[in-house]
Amino acid sequence: MSDSVPLTTDQPGQVASATPPVPGRSRRLSDRGLAVAFISPALLLLLAMSVFPLLWALYLSFTDYSATRGGPANFIGFGNYTAILTSAQVHTRALTTLIYVVGAVGLQTVLGFGIAYLISRRTHGRGVLTTLFLVPMMLSPVVVGLFWRFMLDAQFGVVNSMLGSLGVGQVEWLTRQRTALISLIVVDTWQWTPFIMLIALAGLTAVPKYLYEAASIDRASEWFRFRTITLPLVWPLLLIAVLFRAIEAFRLFDLVYILTNGGPGVSTETLSFHIYKVAFLGFNTGTASAYGILMVLVVIVLTQLYLRYLNKLKEG
Amino acid sequence: MRFPKRTGRTSGPGRKVRLATAAMLLVATSVTACGDGQDDGEKASAPKAPATIPELSKDPLTLSFIWFEWPPAKALEAFANAEYKKERPNATIKVNTVPNANWHDAMFTQFAAHKTDFDIAILDSQHIGEAVTNGNILDITDFVKKNIDVTAYNPYLLAAYGQYPQAETGKRDENASLYGLPLLGDTWTMIYRKDLIGDKPPQTWDQMISAAEKCQADNPGVSGLAFHQANGSDAAAVTYNTVNGVYGGNLWDSKTRKIEGVLNDAAGQEAMDVLVNKMKPLTAKGSGNWFIDEVNAAVAQGKACIAFNWIAASGGLLDPKQSTLGTTREQILDKLGFATLPSQKTNLVPLGGMGMHVSAYSSKANQAEALNFMEWFERADIQKKWAAAGGVPSRTDAIQSPEFLNAGPFNKVYADSVPRMRDMWNVPEYARLVNIENTNVNAALNGAKKPKDALDDIAKEQQGVLDSGNRKGGGGL
Repeated sequence: MSDSVPLTTDQPGQVASATPPVPGRSRRLSDRGLAVAFISPALLLLLAMSVFPLLWALYLSFTDYSATRGGPANFIGFGNYTAILTSAQVHTRALTTLIYVVGAVGLQTVLGFGIAYLISRRTHGRGVLTTLFLVPMMLSPVVVGLFWRFMLDAQFGVVNSMLGSLGVGQVEWLTRQRTALISLIVVDTWQWTPFIMLIALAGLTAVPKYLYEAASIDRASEWFRFRTITLPLVWPLLLIAVLFRAIEAFRLFDLVYILTNGGPGVSTETLSFHIYKVAFLGFNTGTASAYGILMVLVVIVLTQLYLRYLNKLKEG
Repeated sequence: MRFPKRTGRTSGPGRKVRLATAAMLLVATSVTACGDGQDDGEKASAPKAPATIPELSKDPLTLSFIWFEWPPAKALEAFANAEYKKERPNATIKVNTVPNANWHDAMFTQFAAHKTDFDIAILDSQHIGEAVTNGNILDITDFVKKNIDVTAYNPYLLAAYGQYPQAETGKRDENASLYGLPLLGDTWTMIYRKDLIGDKPPQTWDQMISAAEKCQADNPGVSGLAFHQANGSDAAAVTYNTVNGVYGGNLWDSKTRKIEGVLNDAAGQEAMDVLVNKMKPLTAKGSGNWFIDEVNAAVAQGKACIAFNWIAASGGLLDPKQSTLGTTREQILDKLGFATLPSQKTNLVPLGGMGMHVSAYSSKANQAEALNFMEWFERADIQKKWAAAGGVPSRTDAIQSPEFLNAGPFNKVYADSVPRMRDMWNVPEYARLVNIENTNVNAALNGAKKPKDALDDIAKEQQGVLDSGNRKGGGGL
């Protein structure tokens, strides 16, 4: 351990001398070098786990490579991309995914914001309520899928049992075309509404109180205050939450796998679920890579458009 | 305090060096991750196992299997550790299991990595084509010739669990190569409520449907039928294939590789019509995603008059702890009967079960142990012990033995069904073919597609898969 270096001199008025370099530290290792040294492990990990797979998938997407069949990866240009973009099967899955994303994220936004608004108006028990509402979000989607699968079972599920006691007949939640997709939306909403709620609550808490006080002095109605103060100030934050949720919902796989397995038929097969089948049933690695790259591109383009809108909103 | 002068973005050679280093790192990562690129250029083919079992290791060794989670997996591990250890005390048997829906993926993703954590893959008979074509399992033809008494088996059983290219139904091509040996034989059994429809099981498919219809009408709350309808694994596909076989249909013409026009011919259409319009209305509401466990649960809870399930998965039905039909096995057996499937235009039944296949990526010591285990397992005395332990053997002497026939009321069903078995396609494209059939049959059963449209779609899409060999891009869609 080195001795401490005095910062003052015995003579008043004299400026303390600059600290000499720490003994033993290499003269070549500048602060920048040190920064690089510290960042390198994380950078290497990122290269190995994210950048390389992405580039490798990009390369494979232009080939007919199959992970199990072996053989050379023959370059086929945009063959995989053309096939995917013109495939009726892909169009069907894209439509299913779109309905799911719009339905689930829309419902979560309305409910999440509503709950956050109600909680923000409470003065007592806000913390406990928030924590309770967050519980579903903390569970694994597989666990959520499994217990909802039991709850929605047409024969012995608790949902049908409750409906039965109200005089409603048995509903085939997971095995009919329309109800299966609705069930997926409901389960996803149950799990992820707290996420929107949390962000909306943060936004609501950050609204300056004096704005409401000024509005009260002007005798503004509750609706007027909500429309002109609350919503405009929370809106940008809420849109970010919607963006995160939309990206998550766009690549939904786990709930589909557990709850419906894509059925009945392929009516709840999302794009991610379809990629999984392309990748692992026939091990068509090239096609699956192109499919994945296209999904990433769609997310990037939509996110960019969305962020531009968000920036305009902020500037406005 | 003096701070070092900020230089901003480094320029000149320093920056180039760093860029070059980053590029090298990326290339190095790529090379490492890609592994041995030499394999990719070589045409895959199954490596050959030695004809004689190499010298076995004297060190402690774990022989690992991979299977899906179901009672026979536990039975195999317990049986093998109890019996095989008597001969090979240094060997421990570990049967790793995955959920049924992940079974194919769990094996073939490891095959794809050319590194497996299992020594013996328990492949479905239809997986053999894919594994052989990719060179994932050992060719054991010479080993079988030298160590296994092939005459002790029904030829079709030996062919179904080991031969590739696929044998004609009911036969074995003695010139074809073998890649596996039978582990567990299986087929569907008809489970019927003796107390509700009588002691005598229906003999024809029409009679079975009539009996189920009457039973459902007479017993409110009990559905006439329970069978596999789920769109995961091969659930709905096996159901359709069974009805297709019974009504005289064919899945394909294996010689010309034709599916369109064969599967959806008049017999195929009739089978689909029977399944969707006559059988489905007799099932419980919401049963459109039922598979093995759900069908067993319906029977055990007394909610089905007639059910169809794999024999190897039926043992739990006689467990009073899992059943509401009686407090003892005898009481349950007073109510439940097990019979071979009814016939109609033919008497075909589905071939189930699996074989043992040695991973090409296992170590030499473990491959030797695996071969030794297989030789041991196929011995007459061991097959009888396996039968007594709850397994379904494949050797004819074991199938006919009292140990097997007395071990369970459904075992005679298996013995009687062996000459009636028919398998699906055993081709490298199997996983995609079965997925197409499963999703479409499931759609028809759950009202998402008209039966005729579903069958025509199956035939068209499956034909597309078989014909897509020269397609440039989009394979797998």
